Amino acid sequence: MSDPVFECRSASVTLSLSGGARPIISDINLDIQQAEFLSIVGPSGTGKTTLLRMLGGLLHPTSGEVRVNGAILTGPPEGVVIVFQDYANALLQWRTVAANVAFGIERKLPAKECTDRVNAALDLVGLSRRAEDYPWQLSGGMQQRVQIARALALRPAVMLMDEPFAALDAMTKAGLQDELLRLRDQTRTSFVFITHDIEEAVYLGDRVAVLKGSPGRIEDIVKIELPSLRDQISTRQMPEFLAYRYGLHKAIGHG
Amino acid sequence: MSQRLPKFPFLGRLLMQLPSPLGVLPLIAVLIVWQILQKGNSPYFPPPSAWWSGIVQSAATGKLLPACLASLQTILVGMVLATAAGVMLGVLIGLSRRTARALGPLLEFCRAMPPPAIVPLAILFLGYDERMKLTIVVISAMWPILLNTASAIQRIHPILLDVATSFHLSFYERIRFVAIPSVMPSILLGVRIALPLTIVLTLLVEILTSIEGVGALMITAQRNFQSGQLYGLLVLVGLFGFFLNTVFSMIQAIILRRWPPRSIPA
Ligand SMILES: Nc1ncnc2c1ncn2[C@@H]1O[C@H](COP(=O)(O)OP(=O)(O)O)[C@@H](O)[C@H]1O
Ligand SMILES: [Mg+2]
Repeated sequence: MSDPVFECRSASVTLSLSGGARPIISDINLDIQQAEFLSIVGPSGTGKTTLLRMLGGLLHPTSGEVRVNGAILTGPPEGVVIVFQDYANALLQWRTVAANVAFGIERKLPAKECTDRVNAALDLVGLSRRAEDYPWQLSGGMQQRVQIARALALRPAVMLMDEPFAALDAMTKAGLQDELLRLRDQTRTSFVFITHDIEEAVYLGDRVAVLKGSPGRIEDIVKIELPSLRDQISTRQMPEFLAYRYGLHKAIGHG
Repeated sequence: MSQRLPKFPFLGRLLMQLPSPLGVLPLIAVLIVWQILQKGNSPYFPPPSAWWSGIVQSAATGKLLPACLASLQTILVGMVLATAAGVMLGVLIGLSRRTARALGPLLEFCRAMPPPAIVPLAILFLGYDERMKLTIVVISAMWPILLNTASAIQRIHPILLDVATSFHLSFYERIRFVAIPSVMPSILLGVRIALPLTIVLTLLVEILTSIEGVGALMITAQRNFQSGQLYGLLVLVGLFGFFLNTVFSMIQAIILRRWPPRSIPA
């Protein structure tokens, strides 16, 4: 196997808050390979978002280290993009949908290529017809798709996604899940995908990491050995799928 | 939840900025009554017809138009400079707590200074001219813009700043593409508060120093006991303010069309 894209070596984050220092995540050991889809599940408040912000270079580990392509992380790495959980605040509300999607590339690419990429990304998330609207005129699910399109337009090597589908209806969600898997196969993008939906974690993931406790630690990493071509209906009915689901529910502590 | 772009409502919103013609009726009524009741030529309460003749007289000497233009120029240029200074300082203060702390006492001190009090000092440094007029207007009118901008910058959602960091924006790009646009409604609110202030200060400085402008005409009229002309100039100034305010409201409505209606401070 080639070198991992991301490596965490006993990385911890401690925040100094008004009530004193507070460990949020602790002793995180994690490798992420190229073209790998890593799901992370865990109860809310265990530090999933904090972990993702650390990988995205927005937060420095207070101890341990994080490496991207072998180099120690010092800030947001090139080719890594975050899709934030809080889509309403992550979008530039005064820009049209198209201009939001262009935000990550407009300063780097010629106008023509920029437009092409924006159109392609909007097409992928099914928002071509809303390109000239403003985010505040869209539903929550649509706004989140704008944010996903903005990340895709960058053609990143790694996508860090924080509960990206929580605001979507089941149909749209299923479509976008398959779109992400297809993208991974086509572009060899790596995904770190946080979700509270265990089924979603198993359906998408090559591996599922369970984050638990306070401070949050990686309790377990489960390798998902399902056929790599996933199908919304048949995959979800396989006995193995159900077994993974059951095991993860137990690991999180849902009885 | 999903809402189509309002096309007609926008035109409606623009027209709403225009004052209702009905609102002027009471004013007209008062003026008519005044005209009818005021028979003799009172030096304190001259009838509206005397206001008009006063203005015509002033126009005939060829002093009115240049004075109006001079005042208007100070107001507009002052507005532009006050906005530029207020936004720039507001952004710097809002973005960095260290700058805010370092400049805080100085700014509080300057803000507490009543504008008329700095007129003598400004004359000392700059002499009796347009630059002095502008300096006083800009220094005094930039506060509402500065304070509105700074506090709105401090309230920018941290996630939005994370987005800027994550997309590798430089310091300048953060300000230009994220910070300033996201606080645009507050900046415009500040400008809106500053506009009448600019008018008041322009006239005040003209009255105090007799530098060319409508204010200087007013003080001259008062000294010459031309009360009709004084009232006429007062009405003119009122119309000035009214007109500028309406134009600005329209510009504001056009710019803010792109911002979420919720985010626009009243
Ligand atoms: N900036 C912060 N200030 C105070 N507490 C924080 C901050 N960021 C995270 N936390 C705390 O850290 C814990 C983990 O937060 P988070 O990473 O958002 O968890 P998750 O995404 O798994 O719900 C929470 O208990 C939260 O209260
Ligand atoms: Mg979270």
